[in-house]
Amino acid sequence: MSSVDLTYFIFLSSGLFLGWSLGANDAANIFGTAVGTKMVRFRTAAVIASVFVILGAVYAGAGASATLGELGEIDTLPGAFMAALAAAVSVYWMIKSGLPTSSSQAIVGAIVGWNIFAGHQTDTAVLSTIVSTWIVCPVLAGIIAILIYYLVRLVLRHSRTHLLRQDSYTRFGLIIAGAFGAYALGANNIANVMGVFVDSSPFQTVSFGPGFSLNGTQILFLIGALAISTGIFTYSHKVINTVGNNLMHMSPLVAWVVVVSASVVLFLFASQSLQQFLHSHNLPALPLVPVSSSQAVIGGIMGIGIAKGGTGLNWGILGRIAAGWVTTPLFAAIICYVSLFFLQNVFNQVVYLN
Amino acid sequence: MFHLSLSLFSSTKSLESKIDFFHDKLLDAAMTFKRAIKIFLEQGRSEEYAKLSKQIKQIEHDADNLRRDIESKLYSQNLIPDLRADVLHLVENLDKVINKFDEVAYKFYVERPLFPDNYHGRINELCNQVSDCAENMGKASRAFFRDLSSVRDYSQKVYFIEHESDLSSGQLQESIFDSDIDLSAKIQLSGFINEIADIADIAEDFIDELLIFTIKRDI
Repeated sequence: MSSVDLTYFIFLSSGLFLGWSLGANDAANIFGTAVGTKMVRFRTAAVIASVFVILGAVYAGAGASATLGELGEIDTLPGAFMAALAAAVSVYWMIKSGLPTSSSQAIVGAIVGWNIFAGHQTDTAVLSTIVSTWIVCPVLAGIIAILIYYLVRLVLRHSRTHLLRQDSYTRFGLIIAGAFGAYALGANNIANVMGVFVDSSPFQTVSFGPGFSLNGTQILFLIGALAISTGIFTYSHKVINTVGNNLMHMSPLVAWVVVVSASVVLFLFASQSLQQFLHSHNLPALPLVPVSSSQAVIGGIMGIGIAKGGTGLNWGILGRIAAGWVTTPLFAAIICYVSLFFLQNVFNQVVYLN
Repeated sequence: MFHLSLSLFSSTKSLESKIDFFHDKLLDAAMTFKRAIKIFLEQGRSEEYAKLSKQIKQIEHDADNLRRDIESKLYSQNLIPDLRADVLHLVENLDKVINKFDEVAYKFYVERPLFPDNYHGRINELCNQVSDCAENMGKASRAFFRDLSSVRDYSQKVYFIEHESDLSSGQLQESIFDSDIDLSAKIQLSGFINEIADIADIAEDFIDELLIFTIKRDI
C-alpha cells in the first residue's frame, strides 16, 4: 500500500469509527430483544445483521448519501475526516450525557458546521427537508407500528395459533425482520458513515466478473459497512446485554412489530427504487434522507403504547428526542467548526477547496 | 417452502400434542374421581372402586411422565423463552390437581370412611362440583395455549363453581358436627370433606395465576 493510500485510510478512520459505533449501537435496535430474550442466538443475529447491512449499504446506500451531498459537498479529505469525527464525538458526548442522539443528526450538524467554516451557503430547502424527516420518522414508525400491532392481534385472535407454534413463527419473523432491518439500516445509515467521504473518494469501479461490478462509491460504502459489521460483532453483544433496548420490556412479538415498523421507515427513507416507482405513478414519495433507527424504534414503541391505551407511556422521552433534534446537530456543528479551524491553522491541512 | 415449514414446526408439533395429552389426563382424572367416589358411597371399598382408584393412580403416573417430558423439552429446545417459566408453573400446578385427585381417592381406599346414607347425595354433589371445577380449569389452561379469549370464560366458571363448592362443603361440615355420630367419625368425615374441597381451592389459585399469565401472553 502506498503512503497516499495509508493517508487516505488514516483520514477515513473517523468515518470507520463512526461506522463501528453505529454497528455496536444500532444492531441492538434490530436484534436487541431477539437476542436478549434468547429467541435468536447472538452469533446468528450478528452474521445476518452484518451480511444485510453490507448488502443494504452497497446496493441501496446511494440515495440518502446523495441528499447529504446536496446539503454540503465536502471536497477535501481532511474536511471529511473532521466532519465525521465531529459527528462521532458529539454522538459520544450526547450518549455520555444520557441524551437521546443520532448519528444522522450529528452528521447533518457537522456538514452545516463545515459549510459555515468554508463560507458555503447551506441549502435551506434541503436542510428543512432533512429536519422534517427527523420529525416524520418516529411519527411514521408509530403509525406503522399501530397498524401492524392491530393486524397481528386480529390474526392471533382468529387463527387460534398454539403458543408453541406462535413462538416458532415469532422466532422466524424476528430473523426475517432483523435481516430486513439490517438491510434498511445499511441503506439508510451508510450515508452518515461514509457520505462525507464520497466527493474525496479515490476508488474506481472494480469489476468482479461479467455482470458484477462495484463503482467507487459502492466500494467506499462496502468499507464503511465492514466497519459497521465489526461494530456488530465486537461490541453490540455488550450493548444488548448491558443496555438492551433501554426503553421498555418487550415481548418477542411486540419487538417484532417494533423492528418491522422501524425497518419499513428506514427503508422508505432510503429506497431509490421505491421512490422512482412512486414518482412514476405520480404518487408523493419520501425524500431519501438518513434518519435515526433509535428514534424510529422509539416511535414504534410509543405507537404500540398508544394502541394499548396509552397508559404507562413515558411522554417525556418525546420531549427529550425533540431536544436532541436541536442539541445534537448544534454540538456537531460547533465541534466541527472549531476542529476545522485547528486542523487548518495548526496542522496546515486543506479542509475545503472552494 | 412446504418442506421448510414442516421441518421448522415438527419439533414443536410433538410438544403441542404432549401438552394436549397432559390436559386430557386432568380431564380423565376429574371424571374418574367423580365416578369412583359415587361407587365408593354405593358399594364401599369394592373391587370396582379399587379398579377406579388404580386407574386414577395410573393417570397420575402418566401425567407425571408427560410433565417431565414437557419440562425437559421446553428447556432443551429453548422454546418460548419469555413465557417458559410461566408455562412450567402452570404445568406443575395442573399436576398438583391430578395428584390431589389420586391422593383423595387413595385416602378413601385406605381409611374407608363411613358416610351416613343421608350425606351421600351432598358428597356426590361436592365431588361433582370439584370435578367440574378441575375440568373448567383444564379448559382454561388449554385455552391459554390456543385461544386466549376463552380463558376468561372458563376462569369465571371456575370461580363460580369453587364458590358453590365452598358453600356445599361448609353446609356438610355443619351438618356433620350437628349430627349424633361419634366425634372421632365427625373429625374423620370433616377431614375428607376438606380434602375434597381443597381440589376446588387449588383450581381457584391456579386460575388466579393463569389470568395474570394471560395478560402477559396477550400481545
